[in-house]
Formats: sequence, C-alpha cells, structure tokens
Amino acid sequence: MFKAQLPATRLITRRLYSTRVPQSLYSCARSSVRYPTPAAPAVCRTAGRSLIFARGYAEPASTKFSRAKPHLNIGTIGHVDHGKTTLTAAITKVLSEKGAASFTDYAQIDKAPEEKARGITINSAHVEYESDTRHYGHIDCPGHADYIKNMITGAAQMDGAIIVVSATDGQMPQTREHLLLARQVGIKKLVVFINKVDMIADPEMLELVDMEMRDLLGTYNFDGENTPIVMGSALAALEGRDPEIGANKIQELIKACDEWLEIPPRDLDKPFLLPIEDVFSISGRGTVATGRVERGVCNKGDAVEILGFGTKISSVLTGIEAFHKELDRGEAGDNMGALLRGIKREQLKRGQVIIAPGSMKAVKKFQAQIYVLTKDEGGRYTPFMANYTPQLFIRTADISTRLSWPEGTADAEEKMVMPGDNVEMVCTLHHDVAGEVGSRFTLREGGKTIGTGIITKVLEFA
Amino acid sequence: MYSARRATSALPRLYSTSAPVKPSVKLIAELRKRTEGVSLTKAREALAASNNDLDAALQWLDADRVATGAAKVAKLADRVAGQGLIGVQVLSPGARLGPAGAVRAAMVELNCETDFVARNDLFGKLLSDIAHTAAYLVEPKADGTFIQSLSVDQLNDAPLLDPATSAPAHTTVEAAVRDLVTKVGEKVTLRRAVAVARDPLPHTQNHLGIRVFPYVHGTVSIPTNGTKAALSLYALKSPRLPSLIGSEEFQRDLAALERSLGRTIVGFPVTHVGNPSQPDPGAWYHQPTDMFPSKEGNTVVEELVAWAKKRGMVPEEGSDEAGLALLEFQRWSVGEALQSTEGDA
Repeated sequence: MFKAQLPATRLITRRLYSTRVPQSLYSCARSSVRYPTPAAPAVCRTAGRSLIFARGYAEPASTKFSRAKPHLNIGTIGHVDHGKTTLTAAITKVLSEKGAASFTDYAQIDKAPEEKARGITINSAHVEYESDTRHYGHIDCPGHADYIKNMITGAAQMDGAIIVVSATDGQMPQTREHLLLARQVGIKKLVVFINKVDMIADPEMLELVDMEMRDLLGTYNFDGENTPIVMGSALAALEGRDPEIGANKIQELIKACDEWLEIPPRDLDKPFLLPIEDVFSISGRGTVATGRVERGVCNKGDAVEILGFGTKISSVLTGIEAFHKELDRGEAGDNMGALLRGIKREQLKRGQVIIAPGSMKAVKKFQAQIYVLTKDEGGRYTPFMANYTPQLFIRTADISTRLSWPEGTADAEEKMVMPGDNVEMVCTLHHDVAGEVGSRFTLREGGKTIGTGIITKVLEFA
Repeated sequence: MYSARRATSALPRLYSTSAPVKPSVKLIAELRKRTEGVSLTKAREALAASNNDLDAALQWLDADRVATGAAKVAKLADRVAGQGLIGVQVLSPGARLGPAGAVRAAMVELNCETDFVARNDLFGKLLSDIAHTAAYLVEPKADGTFIQSLSVDQLNDAPLLDPATSAPAHTTVEAAVRDLVTKVGEKVTLRRAVAVARDPLPHTQNHLGIRVFPYVHGTVSIPTNGTKAALSLYALKSPRLPSLIGSEEFQRDLAALERSLGRTIVGFPVTHVGNPSQPDPGAWYHQPTDMFPSKEGNTVVEELVAWAKKRGMVPEEGSDEAGLALLEFQRWSVGEALQSTEGDA
C-alpha cells in the first residue's frame, strides 16, 4: 500500500542517516530492502549520533544479483519465545542448500544488545533469500513502535508478513496486538507459521491452533479462511532433522508466501508521474519542465495533466529529453526534460506534477501517520500542540501546513506531541498539491526536518 | 527448556489414580476463551487432570499458576524488560471542601519485554490496579514529605485492589504480576513506585490547599497509563480560597491549568521546581509557556500570576503575587536509566 518511492522519502532517508557516506548508507538502508545486493547481510549500527555502516561487500567470486525475480519484503511478527529468529535462520539454511540464500545463523540475526538499543537506526534485522519465483527481503523488528516508525520513514517496508505462533501456547493475548500492527502498517495478507509442532503429539490440538488462528484472523479483517497456515518445526529444520516437519515445511512456507502474498506493483507499472523541479523556456521550442520521473513511463505525444497549486491543465508531451538527447520514451528513474505543448512558463511551478491524465488528484486536507523526529535525529527539542504550522515537503513541493488532531480526539485542542512520537494527525495545506494515500512527505521548520509522514486518508480534494 | 516445563507440568498427572482422560478439543477451546492467556498445553493438562470438567479445570489452572508461576518467573529472570508503561492514579486530588480535601495519588512503572505486551489490555489493567493499590496504601509521612518512593518489595506483598469491585482482594501484587507472566510469557516486573498522601487541612487553615495532579503522555487505551508520566503537587493560598474551591467553574479552570503545567513538565527538560523570582533554565517556574493554550506570559511563573490574579487568587488582599506555589514533581519515562529521575526538588 505504501509503495511509492519518492524523492521526498530519499530526502528523509538521507537526512536520517547522515550525509557522510551517502552511497553506502543508501545501499544499506534501502538496497537491502528494495534492491538487495548479493553482499553478505548489510548491518546498520549506531555509534552515538551517527551511523556506521558495516557493510560486507560482495566477494569478487560471488554471483551478481539478478533482478529477474520480483522483490517482496516480508516481516516476521510473533511472541518473543515462539521462534521468529529460529524460523528466519531456518529459512536461510533450507534455502542456502539450494544456493538461494546465504545461511544466517541465530546469533547474526539476534544481534548484540548494543546494536538493538533504540536509537537513530532502523531497529530491525535484515536478511535476504530467494524462492523459485521471488526474491525476499526479510525484516524483523523488536517492537510495535519500531515497525510503525519504519513504515512511516519507509526504511523497512513490509509488503507481507509471517505470523509465528507456537503450537504449545497457541495464540497469546498479544497476538491481537501483532495482528493490529499488521493492519496498521498496511499489510493485507499474512501467512501463519505454527512452530514447535514436534512438542504436540495430538493432531486434534494442532487443528485447534489452526481453528483459533483462522478465527482471530477473521476478527481483525484478514482472510481467515484462505490464509495459508503451515505447521512445522523451525528448530528441526535448523538442526537438519525430521525433514517432514523441518525442511519440507520451510519449503512449504516459502511456497505459501510465493502463492499467497501479493507483489506490490513496480514503479514502472504505475501511472506516469514527474514532479517538476525546474521550468525553462526555450526560444523557438516552448516550455520545458525538468525533474526525475518518480514512476511510470511516458512516450512522446502522450496526453498529460499538470496538477497542483490551484492548477489543473491538460497538455501534450511534445518532446522528451534526457542525457542531452532527444528520446521517445522516459521512465521511472530518468532525469528528463518534458516539452509541453501550449504551456507558458508562468503556468508551471516547481512542486507541481506532470501525470498521466486522471491518475492523481490534488489534495488540500488529509490524515497522515507522522513520526516526529527526536532531537538526536535532528528534530525538535520541544513538544508541540494542535495548530502547529511547519512546512510540508512532498516531492518537489513546499507548502505550509497546519497540523490538528482527527475529529473525535479527546482534548484535541490541548493534546501534546513530543519528539519521538508516532501520531495520526490531520494536515491542512495552505495550497493544494498532488497526493494520494501512500504519498510520503517530510515536515520541516526553520531548516530542520522535524518529522516525516505518510498519507493514510484524503479528507478534502482541491 | 521445554523439557523442564514438561517435567514440572507432568507432575500433577502422576498423582491422579484413574487412567488419564482424553481432553476434549471443544472444552480446550472453551477454556481458552474463558481465561485469556492459558496456553494450549496447560489447558489440555487441566482438563485431563479434572476429568473434562470445565469448572474443576479452571480451579486446576488457578492452582497451577501458583505452583508453576514462580518457576516461569525465575526462568525469565535474566531477560531484559525495557518496555512497559507508567500508570498514575489519583484517588483524591486535594483542595476540595471538607474531608474530600485529602491528597492521595500514586505513580507506578511496570516493565515488560516488548511494547506489544505493553499495549495489551491485561497489562494495562494490572498496571492501573497496582497504581490504585499504591495510592490506597500509602501513609502520610509525619515529616511533611510529599512524594515518597515506595519500596517495590512492600508493594509486591500488598493485596491487589481492583477499583472496579469492592470485593476483598484475593491476590497480592506479586501474584498478579506472576499470573500475567504465565499469560503473556514475557518477563514482567514492577520497577518503581512513588505515592503521595496528605490528610485534609484543618478547618482553621481553610485559606490553604494542596493539589496533586497527574500528566500522562503516550497512552494506548487506558488514559491513565502511558510511556511518559508525571505526578506533581502545588499549593494554593488565598483568603478567597474557601469560596473559590466550592465553585465548579474554578475547579474546571484549575484542571485546565494543571493539564498545561503537566504538559510543561513532561514535554520540557524540567529538572527542578526553582524559585519564582530567580530565572533559571531548568526550573519549572521558568519554562516557556508553549503548552498553555491561552498564553498570557512568557514563563510559567508569569502565566501563574496572570491566572491567579484573574480569579482573585492572591495570598493577601492587594498582593501582587500568585496564590499558587509549585511544590514538587516526579517525572518518569519508560525504561529510562534510573539515576536521571532522582533528586528533583
């Protein structure tokens, strides 16, 4: 659901992870998730306020990462003793036997306490592996707040999740919280792994766990009936014994993930979107808007729409230029100039977007999930209340916005937001801007990034 | 580790003389529905031991929790419980007419391993009950101390009082925490507790009053539990106080003022109360007034003077000061290093 990879997000990412080593941090924070490298698992570690990237570079002999398989990020959620880490280790072990992962043992996943300490880092472990049809980035965060923060900042996105439940305990009181979290970070489909089945002799008991889980999934609006539930023993798989409940079940779990979890649409498959960074007027040719294509593909001669800041103009792409050459086609990732028919320079502004007609709307007011940066992350020192008015940066646009609490919040006029909080607030923009559910933005004040957010609900279109 | 659990839980079965009964899956499900947090294996054992009798099984489970809870707690002892919530309960805020003018409140931190558990209602309910118990049990100190820290051991031995029922307590705080550990399978510990108790002032001093107020930030479902919280006290002095505190409007204004003061304490790096006449960046009195919805001054002290004058709350007729003095506060955030919270004014 929150798939957009926006320049704005990158801005935050850079902001969050210091600018000292932009290249490697970028590969660390993002690549391991979205564009995994064949390197050994990337490790992010905090050292005081700045990040150190202990990144194992690929051995010269190792194979090159192929983009042939679609990528998906999954997370494991479950009780501390139900074997999330063992399962993760078991998956890498089973798949490494096929050469589709490098075995990451328990100790590597469950990092040293100082690395787990909450701080500026993304508090999560990343592991990667491949199935027959997909490439997976595997995320494990210690707590609710970490998952939410990672969802908002886009640092460790989950497209699907494996809920791990022990057969000896069954679902626990906090399993409800696990499912609520999955809902909150926008996961629509889950796979359930019932672990430790070797401890339970009675098949009826396993049926009961299955039944209870389906029941609970239904209660939290997941498809309880069709959700795949795999029963096995991660430990058996890790220790290489009892393949019928060990390795085979891990294979089955991966297969269930392949079949049940949906791949988010790739940027290229989405409708065209070019945020305008700059506008030029070239005599004899017309008006050219430049920027980096955020998603989709455009062809010379396509009808487009220019949206934002109170305007909605239709035009036609009469020329595309990139790399100082004329092109027939531009696609996501390209830095391009768009020559627009019948548009005057004054009609375009930085912050507007050029889109495939009708693919987006301009929004004036929306609800968003916001993470407020702590002072250690470069954010505010002090709390704020409703009616706080920072600058909102979304793609190339910069608009002042008023923050308030959603309708129905108790003591809405007085409720306080402190640095470090995850909050759901309403943003009322001074000007309209192109936006949709899942668009990311940052909040800045006096040259400081104070927060980052993601649109969850549009309340008012322009 | 599981073999140990199996070994202990297998014991009761040894005593049963009849052949083990196969527990019905339906009853297991029912049992788990009735008591949240009973593990499957335990539910099965309970039914096997009690001949598929639901009520007997529930009793068996209660007995088992007592028997094996301590072992479970011991097993989790070396884990780190750095998450959790802080609960604040105010039984009587003070500065009211008559015997209602007593001050009684407590603040308690309960820790667990993940914030998933902290968000669960079982955890929140237990925390509220413990805070309630602490507020109920604290005794006024003869030396005039306001906020006193309670010994965790003593509180653990205290009977747990549930404000929702008037039924006598049937469990201690420690046993209730142990019960929760068996249900959520995480280390849960009572970390610290403070409380305040003052008897109402005698009638001859009815121009004086003391108030205690909580502020809780980062709440999940129960508004008195959060990740950051403060318990604070201030004094009122005015010849007009007896007539003022009887008024509902005044009580409302007072509550609004308290919320603003609470936000200031929790939101700003306040280290001590300070002195109204000596500017000092760490002092409560000299914090900025960003957290007051109707700003009338630049610092808390200016705000207090303006607020008090508007309502005729001055210590003597014609005085230029506020009839309000900040006394003490205790501010906590979950999982913080303990030294930082000690030693405020």
